[in-house]
Amino acid sequence: MRDLLTAYPPLVRSAALVAVTYRGRMILGVITGFFPLLTMAVWLTVVAEGGPPAGWTTGDFLSYYAAATLLWNLSGNHVVWRWDADMRSGDLSIRLLRPVHPFHQYATSDLGHRLVFLAMLVPTLTIAALLVPGLDYPADPVLLAAVAVALALAYALSLLMASTFALVGFWSTQTTNAWLLWWGLGSFASGWVAPLALMPDWLRTAAALLPFRTAMGFPVELLMGRLDPRQTVYGFAVGLGWLAVFALLYRITWRRGIRRYQAVAG
Amino acid sequence: MSGWTRHARILGICWRAAVASEVEYRFNFISNVALSMFWMLWAAAGASVYFRYTGAVAGWTNAEVLVVIGLFFALNGIRQMVLQPNLERMTDYVRLGTLDFLLIKPFDAQLLVSLRHLNVNTLLDPVLGLALTTTGIVLTGRGTSVAALASFAWMLACAVLLMYALTVAMMALAVKLVAAEELGQVSYAFVELSRFPVDLYRNPVQTILTIVPIAFLTTYPAAALLGRLDPYMLLLAPAVAACAGVLATLAWRRSLRSYAGASA
Repeated sequence: MRDLLTAYPPLVRSAALVAVTYRGRMILGVITGFFPLLTMAVWLTVVAEGGPPAGWTTGDFLSYYAAATLLWNLSGNHVVWRWDADMRSGDLSIRLLRPVHPFHQYATSDLGHRLVFLAMLVPTLTIAALLVPGLDYPADPVLLAAVAVALALAYALSLLMASTFALVGFWSTQTTNAWLLWWGLGSFASGWVAPLALMPDWLRTAAALLPFRTAMGFPVELLMGRLDPRQTVYGFAVGLGWLAVFALLYRITWRRGIRRYQAVAG
Repeated sequence: MSGWTRHARILGICWRAAVASEVEYRFNFISNVALSMFWMLWAAAGASVYFRYTGAVAGWTNAEVLVVIGLFFALNGIRQMVLQPNLERMTDYVRLGTLDFLLIKPFDAQLLVSLRHLNVNTLLDPVLGLALTTTGIVLTGRGTSVAALASFAWMLACAVLLMYALTVAMMALAVKLVAAEELGQVSYAFVELSRFPVDLYRNPVQTILTIVPIAFLTTYPAAALLGRLDPYMLLLAPAVAACAGVLATLAWRRSLRSYAGASA
């Protein structure tokens, strides 16, 4: 564990430096990740034509989707494609020889990139909140601290969930498709397709128990000040519970999977 | 005309080879088709959330929006099948100097570079997309007419040409920027904007999307199928597509003049 703690900062820093070197690429990545803004634009039309659906005003939608963009860029989903590529090419063999477990190699590399995204997006979001009328978040320090923890939890869970799915690659070549299916189904319960408040009751009830909301809707709703203390504690409890579940699943799958791994090349 | 038939024959051979090599991975193909179907259902279910709160957004009912979403999948499928795999390779063509060898082949360079490769995985996407479009038309309960179908086919052909022009423009940029992956994302972003009818966005976005010609990709073809297209669009669409095609070809030729081979 101590070795790991000493390994993390330099690995994360080097990944962040790589990300900064290819900043044009990153900026394009942010700009092209605008799908949430498309769905927001349609909601704004709905508000303009028929009034606020379920009490959600233009300002609510702006605040929700601006924060959703942040969460979209903070997910650890990308590691699935890295694992998949390395298992296919055999580059995983080289990673296995290194003193740090491959999970942490992918995690640090991804984390470095995410931190650079955060460094770009958080100031942008802050400026937007100050300038755009209607785009507002409660400036309560306790709340913001809770949001910071929720963001860390969101990232950790999405990373662990994605990594667990990536291990399907020990058995099948369809890892990325399996992941996309899982993510696609989850996007209805995460707040990605639409804010959960606007979803049917049965879906909202299910979403409160499923892992997906932790990685997206929960931090956003928290930031918007829409959750009372009881709901906040409940959200954290569900997120931490799933974190434990996926940590366990990951370990079991890894132990079984690595025995099957036969390097193709390296 | 023999030049055209020769070009078509050679591209046919290239594409047959692509299909033949992909047939080896049947399960992969089936898995990708299943995923394409899933994404269409996903998009249809996602759009239906708006209609929990309203009967029509900017005059488009849920069924009519499905018509557009189907067209989006059809066009995006064509983009992923024919345009994306070729655009993807541009970086390597320039970086490794492969482009030199492509340019000296006795074949039109633009056609060769833009159409040579085929991604078979989304082969069925246009069919699936049009099936969703048909479902949307059936759900409107109004049916369609021969005239509407004819103008739809015409508008769709213009849309495909327009999308081809956008991609060739990206290829021209790729020669200079050597960043095909990112340019691929940009070309995807263009098409992604056509997921919903442009009327669903309010101004100024709506006007911008009409000028940038995103509206010509799915909104106008869908309007044609629904029998509510302004007739003058039947003339404007080919004009826009042809202009885009000519501009993209000029940009491509210009970028080739600035290209200095990297091979030895």
